[in-house]
Amino acid sequence: MMTEDNRVDEIARRYDGEIGMLIPMMQDLQAECGYLPLRELRRLAERLGLPLSRLYAVATFYSSFRLAPKGRHEVTLCVGTVCYLKGAAGVSERIRAEFQVEAGGTTPDGLFSFQPVNCVGACALAPVMIVNGKYYGGMTADSAMEILRKLPADAAPVEGEART
Amino acid sequence: MPMVTIDDVRVEVDEGATILDAAGKAGIWIPTLCHHPCLPSAATCRLCMVELDRGNWKQLVTACNYPVRRDIVVSVSSDKAVRTRRGVMELLLARAPESRPLRDLARRMGVEGTPYPTVSQTLRDCILCGLCTRVCEWVLRRAAIGFAGRGPSRAVSAPFRQPAEACIACGACAAICPVGTIQVRVHQDTGEVEISPFKARAKFQTCSECGARMVSVPVTQEVMRKVKNEWEKLRRLVGLCPRCRRKETAARGRTPAEQPQQTR
Amino acid sequence: MTAPRGRRLLAPADVARCREELNSRHSPSGRRVRVCIGTGCAAKGSRRVYELFAEAAKETGAEVSAVTCVGCHGFCERGPIVVVQPGDIFYQRVEEPDVAEIFRETVLGGRVVERLLYEDPVTAAKARTAGEIPFYRVQQRVVLAQNGVIDPRSIEEYIAAGGYSALVKVLTGMTPEETLREVERSGLRGRGGGGFPTGRKWRSCRDAHGEPKYVICNGDEGDPGAFMDRSIMEGNPHAVLEGMIIGAYAIGSSQGYIYVRNEYPLAVEHLKEAIRQGREWELLGESILGTEFSFDVRINRGGGAFVCGESTALMASLEGRPGEPRAKYVHTVECGLWDRPTNLNNVETWANVPAIINRGSEWFASTGTERSKGTKVFSLVGQVVNTGLVEVPMGITLRRIIEEIGGGVKGGKAFKAVQTGGPSGGCIPAQYLDTPVDFDELTKLGSMMGSGGMIVMDEDTCMVGMARYFLNFLRDESCGKCTPCREGLAQMVFILDRITHGEGQPGDVERLADLGVLLEGAALCALGKSAANPVMSTVRYFRDEYDAHILERRCPAKKCRGLFRYRIVAEACKACGICLKNCPAEAITGQKKVVHVIDQGKCTLCGACLDKCPFDAVVKV
Repeated sequence: MMTEDNRVDEIARRYDGEIGMLIPMMQDLQAECGYLPLRELRRLAERLGLPLSRLYAVATFYSSFRLAPKGRHEVTLCVGTVCYLKGAAGVSERIRAEFQVEAGGTTPDGLFSFQPVNCVGACALAPVMIVNGKYYGGMTADSAMEILRKLPADAAPVEGEART
Repeated sequence: MPMVTIDDVRVEVDEGATILDAAGKAGIWIPTLCHHPCLPSAATCRLCMVELDRGNWKQLVTACNYPVRRDIVVSVSSDKAVRTRRGVMELLLARAPESRPLRDLARRMGVEGTPYPTVSQTLRDCILCGLCTRVCEWVLRRAAIGFAGRGPSRAVSAPFRQPAEACIACGACAAICPVGTIQVRVHQDTGEVEISPFKARAKFQTCSECGARMVSVPVTQEVMRKVKNEWEKLRRLVGLCPRCRRKETAARGRTPAEQPQQTR
Repeated sequence: MTAPRGRRLLAPADVARCREELNSRHSPSGRRVRVCIGTGCAAKGSRRVYELFAEAAKETGAEVSAVTCVGCHGFCERGPIVVVQPGDIFYQRVEEPDVAEIFRETVLGGRVVERLLYEDPVTAAKARTAGEIPFYRVQQRVVLAQNGVIDPRSIEEYIAAGGYSALVKVLTGMTPEETLREVERSGLRGRGGGGFPTGRKWRSCRDAHGEPKYVICNGDEGDPGAFMDRSIMEGNPHAVLEGMIIGAYAIGSSQGYIYVRNEYPLAVEHLKEAIRQGREWELLGESILGTEFSFDVRINRGGGAFVCGESTALMASLEGRPGEPRAKYVHTVECGLWDRPTNLNNVETWANVPAIINRGSEWFASTGTERSKGTKVFSLVGQVVNTGLVEVPMGITLRRIIEEIGGGVKGGKAFKAVQTGGPSGGCIPAQYLDTPVDFDELTKLGSMMGSGGMIVMDEDTCMVGMARYFLNFLRDESCGKCTPCREGLAQMVFILDRITHGEGQPGDVERLADLGVLLEGAALCALGKSAANPVMSTVRYFRDEYDAHILERRCPAKKCRGLFRYRIVAEACKACGICLKNCPAEAITGQKKVVHVIDQGKCTLCGACLDKCPFDAVVKV
């Protein structure tokens, strides 16, 4: 069984414990747990000889890191310039209003996490929404709602969620 | 040794010294906030901006960390430099409206008020200079607090917004805070020291020499004023109760009193 | 697949032999299908299209290797793109049901499927090959030459197309000094936005004291609307690698990093594969090509921060810290990553190096303008007919790019402005469309070429709203370290929010200008220093819009909610009563058969009437 300490030690070992690779380590940790659990971060700080405040600074500086478990689905909305020109702001507003979710947060029922990002480089398809890695182009508030409402509520939860 | 001509005053400095060093030597005052002699400059506040003559153009640089590597000509009192420093101070006054030390500094610079409203939502009255985090990390080697987030909502905080475990309640952060925002409250009844706004609570320290319980907070301020770049010495003194500290200083022989750094 | 002993590339003759051998492996019939799997086409289902073609090839017994994946052509709007050999037949917007037809008709039968060809939106002329399409015809593809041609996951295709011949030439016949001089003579300038002469940067790093020296590839392309680097990293990762290895040799470095934005997973995947193959073929690692030169590369993914495109912030990130820039009074070529001499260049800059070595600095310098040599890849996006990547010689005018290549503004609307250089740049209005595009000309107009993003805006764009959008973006991405950027941006956004909500005050524009000057002078890094450009340039060219917002509480483009009115067009109104029923302010009067009218005095400008009217009878005025 993979304990928290084992998991962290394995990740640190993967990068030879180099502190310069802290961000890739945290990315791996988040990929495995679904978010960055406090216990694992403490262990990682210990293992690397870094103060916990450094890991907290890094975790809160970069927008891809999450300190709370994410939803069952991952929804990313591009709000880059071209998508904005084509109405992404309206799509974002509608998603946030209807699902009661904030930018960077998770819906109250844990259905999905919502992350607006600045440009995914697919400008020809603007506005772009990515659901669980799948790209959808030409989004309107209505078409986005249609896709999100169809998200299965019973998708297998990510490992990290069991801890709440 | 490179020569710095600063507002028409010429001074020679060591290579690698900063424009601020040169200004000190020349007797010219440049306002600073995030600069402290016991720490390397991070140049975050941008208050100490001066104009560097580059021949066919002038460059605005921060005096506290610009390294002098050859002869240079600097203007502290040019219109542009003065206006730039004023602009920075106006933004700071909007950020920290309740800070007395900041207003005093502003007045000394000839800035009476600010045309900007206070728009910051988080950690008002903190100018995010980083002195507290850096003194905690580099001098005390505890790194109990750090920055969190980025941009205007950036804040100084204990990790995960829980009481900072690594805090030893030495009060160095409060001592070094240039705007008087960090407050230390000593609770004699519980034997705890509370540092706001980080919500850090730590038990009284024990003297590393005699083991007596003590609060080093009043000591730290004084020590930090007198010790320049001698981190080992500062760390040691901060861990001693007043009696042991006096004994130590006496044993080492009277060191000539160093000029207290009046940076505020 | 490992390079068998006999195929190690130790000399130019080896490369030539290898290339011959690989090229002879192609199908004798010359039949080949290339399916683009770049992010843009993949988002429209091109991977499935590829699978169907591969299946079809297998079933008919045609060689499966005749169906390959290729990287981004840069014409994502027309994706999925499929090119069939012989004949270079260029099919666009190919969907799954089309595969069978294309395979039967074109691949096997040599006939063209007309309906899938590109059709000129004005003349309706069909184009058989890419060369016939105006979008491509004017382009001069050097950096993007192999995009859409080779499989980016195959080092063999790269070599077969001439790849790694520059590296072999350098390692077997040129000294580091000679290599460096070639790059200096070419006049290559950084393609990431700074435009610093690349050769000079390499030389400074080479001359600096300190070991080890590092070379870094900045793949943190953060400007919204720019995807040139994504396309290069995905579509031809070996070109970037080869450039870096050559650079490392010239500079004296043995360790490199490629820093890729977190939002580009396919680029990371292709680069990882390219590095793995490079090591197998002994083009990376110890004793490259049997010489004493060793060099290896690591990939780091960004964590999600635009500011990490700034070189010192990127290096902080590589050191496991938050991406805070630091002062550059001592340059990073002297004191960079881990305080060692570090040479950082953009993806496109590195990708130019092999061509310069192979074809010579004189050839490179023969394209472009006097101070801006070579070609540049631009990402032409927004309200333009043809959206995509455009590689052209520098010095070409904005008009040629937007009208000739881009096909002009979409939907027949009027051109209003083009934003160049991303959030650090500014907007350029119609009267300057004949300005040549290079490192210096756009800067004179208050913008900059930047990394190459060009966002076309039409008459319905509110320029004040665009300024607010960019400043909002920069405020969110500011690291927060220095006062002017952090507080200044917060103040500027506050003012622009007021203006776009009809609460602007006289003096606001002057206040914005003051803050702009302050940021330019006092901010710590390039993000802060150029943050006010979007505001300053829109104030410079569209002052009337600011005045209308502030003095008249009116948005001339009718975009800012609450700052324009609604009116019912009498001729179009069918008196159905829907708007009346939905008006929350009861501001609409009318009955059956009587044209409805909005009482402007009661109207709260919510826009419900326009949303609900089934006859488009409500217009913004």
